[in-house]
Amino acid sequence: MRRQLRSRRAPASPYAYRYRLDDQDEVNQNYLADEEEEAEEEARVMVVPNLEEEEEEEEEEEEEEIEEKEKEEEKGQGQPAGNAWWQRWQIVSEYLWDPEKRMSLARTGQSWSLILVIYFFFYASLAAVITLCMYTLFLTISPYMPTFTERVKPPGVMIRPFAHSLNFNFNVSEPDTWQHYVISLNGFLQGYNDSLQEEMNVDCPPGQYFIQDGDEDEDKKACQFKRSFLKNCSGLEDPTFGYSTGQPCILLKMNRIVGFRPELGDPVKVSCKVQRGDENDIRSINYYPESASFDLRYYPYYGKLTHVNYTSPLVAMHFTDVVKNQAVPVQCQLKGKGIINDVINDRFVGNWQSGSEDKQAKK
Amino acid sequence: MAKKTLEIYSVELSGMKDIEQTDKGNGKEKYRGLKNCFEPKKNHRKEELTKELDLDDHKLSIKELEKKYGTNIITGLSSAQAAELLARNGPNALTPPKETPEIIKFFKQMVGGFSILLWIGAILCWIAYGIQYSMNTSSSLDNVYLGCVLALVIILTGIFAYYQEAKSTNIMATFNKMIPQQALVIRDSEKKTIPAEQLVVGDIVEIRGGDQIPADIRLLSVQGCKVDNSSLTGESEPQPRSSEFTHDSPLETKNIGFYSTTCLEGTATGMVINTGDRTIIGQIASLASGVGNEKTPIAIEIQHFVHIVAGVAVSIGILFFITAVSLKYQVLDSIIFLIGIIVANVPEGLLATVTVTLSLTAKRMAKKNCLVKNLEAVETLGSTSIICSDKTGTLTQNRMTVAHLWFDNQIFIADTSEDNSNQVFDQSSGTWASLSKIITLCNRAEFRPGQENVPIMKRVVAGDASETALLKFSEVILGDVMEIRKRNHKVAEIPFNSTNKFQLSIHKTDDPNDKRFLMVMKGAPERILEKCSTIMVNGQEQPLDKNTAEAFHTAYMELGGQGERVLGFCHLYLPADEFPETYTFDVDTMNFPTSNFCFVGLLSMIDPPRSTVPDAVTKCRSAGIKVIMVTGDHPITAKAIAKSVGIISANSETVEDIAKRLHIAVEQVNKRDAKAAVVTGMELKDMSPEQLDELLTNYPEIVFARTSPQQKLIIVEGCQMQNAVVAVTGDGVNDSPALKKADIGIAMGITGSDAAKNAADMILLDDNFASIVTGVEEGRLIFDNLKKTIAYTLTKNIAELCPFLIYITVGLPLPIGTITILFIDLGTDIIPSIALAYEKAESDIMNRKPRHKKKDRLVNEQLAMYSYLHIGLMQAVGAFVVYFTVYAQEGFKPSALINIRVEWENSNVNDLEDSYGQQWTWYQRKYLEWMGYTAFFVGIMVQQIADLIIRKTRRNSIFQQGLFRNKVIWVGIASQIIIALILSYGLGSVTALSFTMLRPQYWFVAVPFAILIWVYDEVRKLFIRLYPGSWWDKNMYY
Repeated sequence: MRRQLRSRRAPASPYAYRYRLDDQDEVNQNYLADEEEEAEEEARVMVVPNLEEEEEEEEEEEEEEIEEKEKEEEKGQGQPAGNAWWQRWQIVSEYLWDPEKRMSLARTGQSWSLILVIYFFFYASLAAVITLCMYTLFLTISPYMPTFTERVKPPGVMIRPFAHSLNFNFNVSEPDTWQHYVISLNGFLQGYNDSLQEEMNVDCPPGQYFIQDGDEDEDKKACQFKRSFLKNCSGLEDPTFGYSTGQPCILLKMNRIVGFRPELGDPVKVSCKVQRGDENDIRSINYYPESASFDLRYYPYYGKLTHVNYTSPLVAMHFTDVVKNQAVPVQCQLKGKGIINDVINDRFVGNWQSGSEDKQAKK
Repeated sequence: MAKKTLEIYSVELSGMKDIEQTDKGNGKEKYRGLKNCFEPKKNHRKEELTKELDLDDHKLSIKELEKKYGTNIITGLSSAQAAELLARNGPNALTPPKETPEIIKFFKQMVGGFSILLWIGAILCWIAYGIQYSMNTSSSLDNVYLGCVLALVIILTGIFAYYQEAKSTNIMATFNKMIPQQALVIRDSEKKTIPAEQLVVGDIVEIRGGDQIPADIRLLSVQGCKVDNSSLTGESEPQPRSSEFTHDSPLETKNIGFYSTTCLEGTATGMVINTGDRTIIGQIASLASGVGNEKTPIAIEIQHFVHIVAGVAVSIGILFFITAVSLKYQVLDSIIFLIGIIVANVPEGLLATVTVTLSLTAKRMAKKNCLVKNLEAVETLGSTSIICSDKTGTLTQNRMTVAHLWFDNQIFIADTSEDNSNQVFDQSSGTWASLSKIITLCNRAEFRPGQENVPIMKRVVAGDASETALLKFSEVILGDVMEIRKRNHKVAEIPFNSTNKFQLSIHKTDDPNDKRFLMVMKGAPERILEKCSTIMVNGQEQPLDKNTAEAFHTAYMELGGQGERVLGFCHLYLPADEFPETYTFDVDTMNFPTSNFCFVGLLSMIDPPRSTVPDAVTKCRSAGIKVIMVTGDHPITAKAIAKSVGIISANSETVEDIAKRLHIAVEQVNKRDAKAAVVTGMELKDMSPEQLDELLTNYPEIVFARTSPQQKLIIVEGCQMQNAVVAVTGDGVNDSPALKKADIGIAMGITGSDAAKNAADMILLDDNFASIVTGVEEGRLIFDNLKKTIAYTLTKNIAELCPFLIYITVGLPLPIGTITILFIDLGTDIIPSIALAYEKAESDIMNRKPRHKKKDRLVNEQLAMYSYLHIGLMQAVGAFVVYFTVYAQEGFKPSALINIRVEWENSNVNDLEDSYGQQWTWYQRKYLEWMGYTAFFVGIMVQQIADLIIRKTRRNSIFQQGLFRNKVIWVGIASQIIIALILSYGLGSVTALSFTMLRPQYWFVAVPFAILIWVYDEVRKLFIRLYPGSWWDKNMYY
């Protein structure tokens, strides 16, 4: 109410004028020696009422100011959330594309093209460097013989048929459950057809390495491994490889390694047994070729590039009388000098363990 | 002079007289920028202040007081009453500022920064395992392990950061332990000494000179008591106390003593009227605790950087997650890719490195007497653009010292440096002999005994500030003052009182032949002059004529105008015939003359600036830092000190100065002409925020005088509104709210009050303003070095990320495993990135402007681009070359690797053919893959050595900087190599870590790339140096 009576004071004129007065005051006070307080008190008492008045004035002014500010704030807070988001969006969109300065992402077209050109050249030269490096790399490695083979040795083994899993589980009376094994084996053995082998490969003497000296880049001959070597498991007499009778054939092959020779002229032999459980669950296995070994004449391997027609030797295992309706874990090991078959981490090196060989024959 | 204080305090505090105004004040502060979330606290604060204003105990008579507090001034409270009151009101101690519970601090470390991303990674790992498990119960636990490793990494780095933080906080703990204070109290009619904590309202306490006042007390009886209120009001002069009610305002009246202020001399008895947090000091302290702690600039920068990296990680992660899903990868695989991308993108070790770097600097600064309480504050000083400095105790020595003398019509300058050792003014004049005698004799101050070995300036003196100054001054020049006084036996004395305004004493002379008495007098110059009829010039008495009086006035004005306190000195030899040796002087009847003295000289005193301050201010100036003085003292003194320390430079003028020079009215002066401004609290009060803003922008040199704690807060906020990083220095309780509000509060270690130290982020152990300059330098250096560290660390992220991207898109066997990445981030890279903190500055960092808070970011676009797209990509290429070399030499040529991923990772495929037709079992391939990891790891490591070397400088050539100057870098390089060797050859057989032995030659495959990186960066720097300001400079300088 008092506010209404009083016109708004002119905004406090800056520091200068008042300061001067104070200044003078201060100077005088400073002239006085030490403890002058007592005397000052009189002055102070006089000053007080004035001051209070002034205070009131100022308070009112403050009130006014504050009210104004509150109004402003209210205005500002009118649509606070929306505004903030809108502003943010504006900033972002302006950043993405500023129509005034024709800038996108804070760069003009010219700047953008410059930067793209620079990066293009930078990456082009980087690509050139890679190419150069790769080129040098290929210069240093032979295409015929891997630089190092220690990681792929000792050779691993693998079986056929291979159908995603190492468990053989089928029902004799339901061809659907074993048909894919047959197809897989058939497909695999296409390359071993006698006619093909005779046409492409040479019949080399058994029991000794088939060493072909000569230039590295010379094509190498390969020894025949005929499908018929596998006898009952060749699929020639029994196109179902024994699966239809509950006497499945499984082929074992040793992984190819360039330059690998089973040591000391002894061929690598295969022997299978029940891994855990009753030894008699298998009862009998027939091996084809009967030696149950990979003949020496198939070694060494000279690599994909020159040894084009190389066919890996196989050993077929014919489980003629395996226990039915029960899991039989089978482990087949390679035995020979230079073969390690007890690598803990890799059950495919030197031996092969089938999780279970389970036949269900409901008949 | 106390008048001003009165205005300010009465306004600020009585502004809350009624609720309506309280609300207004609130609104105003809100406008000023205080965070709204502190509102509840603030209301609470307001209530406290309102309560305080009910205080009218100073107006009450003793009888009324006794009744009010149920006590008796003779017998005191009974023990039972006291115990009851103690139980009701709590102990008489300030509630310490609320500490964040340790456990919350700990958990904050666990979820802050990148931890959140890593947690996501870990949880994704577990989810991936969950999916695997639901599909196949015998699935491998790899993902669980990885999740656990990630969690472990987060927890370990969290613990580490917490430990570092706690270590630096612990230094502070020693400060908080105060010696328990004792108070002499009358209870049950007996005088007892009890711990001050147990005081209750109504207790009668006795105080002696030297004591700290244990609570707010209403003085009942006083004998010559003076208190030092400087920590409360900033006034360095002792304030006399009496038992009479002299002013309405409790802060102004003389019959109240305030908690934590010191009683300098005299004795007093008082009644406790407020204890603990209800005391005035307690209220200011709670004002400080109500002020929110601002985030430090480096915290903002790190947050910004975390946002950038997290943004990159998340967007690349999601992009490739979508790509992977649309490439018909299984969701499970895609999740695993996502984990890999996150782990590769997050520099796990970086935040720990930053912490270590900061604490290393903190240690270095502690050695230079800057104790850093809050680690992040280390850098803050470096980005400071405005320093608001308190005057008393910070810029000045906080003790009166003789500054000038005037005798023989001449002004002499006295040495005001800290040790005061060489007073070189002309001491041959006979006038000086007389003057020195007066100074020595007409002085009641005495050294406390047993300080013979203490330097004179450091000795403790019983007496007020002026007399102390005179005593020390004479002791320095004349030697043993006490001995001189003994020789000139004092026969009578009139101590100073405010009606006389002089002090007089009568002595026998030390000349045995001279039987005359010597009467010496000092006091307010004009009063002294009134009593004189002659003046001494060159040792000869001359009649006091108009000219000499004029000269006196000129000198008086000049000294007074410099904000100095001036005293006049005169003497009179009493004729021996009138005053024989046996004459008895009676000071009550004044049976001796008190006029016709001989005027000898003037002496002026000031609280002088510390000698190191002017230099420090100049250095701050050249470093682009604006120094503002904010003081509770008078404008005239403030201005004088500001001028002498260079806050107002010699050739700049205020509006008033210009007006005076041109003889025009102040209003007519063009305000633009003035560079300096002196603003009082009263003027400040009338200013709108806009005006304050204008003031702060337009004047480079500003002095705020007569400011209240609240106004200091307003000034700091005003500066912060201009995007300035504000440092506040101060020592008093009145500074503590501003210290808290500032981006960095700097308290004085020796003179500082505990409240100030608590509110501050940094403590100057030697109270030396110059230490701030060191702090600025260290802060700027650490900012630069952090930039280097971050650039170094970010670079390899791309080299870690690319493998995943290529793995997903091209189907190569995974080039680097997640665990391997962790070994780079937390193994080989840690020590090198810390080593960068030891890098010396590239150029004079004290000659450049402080960084702009919003523009000069720690991690800017250039840094990210250069690290990610230039060096990072080069590193990725180099590492891939190592990887391809290993695979090709083992049999898999790059062409054979493309899209091999599915078969490669199928554990049932045990006859996978390589480029030579060899067949690989799954485990053989796995081992080869680990060899690939190791090779990739070694590739990155080798190139990180080059990266480390190039990051030593940002602009200069490495050879300018000196390749071997920073030895720690080489320790870092050695550590990188040794860790890599151990991982490969030592732990190569531990399969879980997926490291393998590597042929020695593979360690050198990446070396050409390392050299390429170095050369490339040298070229970059060369162009930056050759073409400053060019496109290249703008885009390639980070």
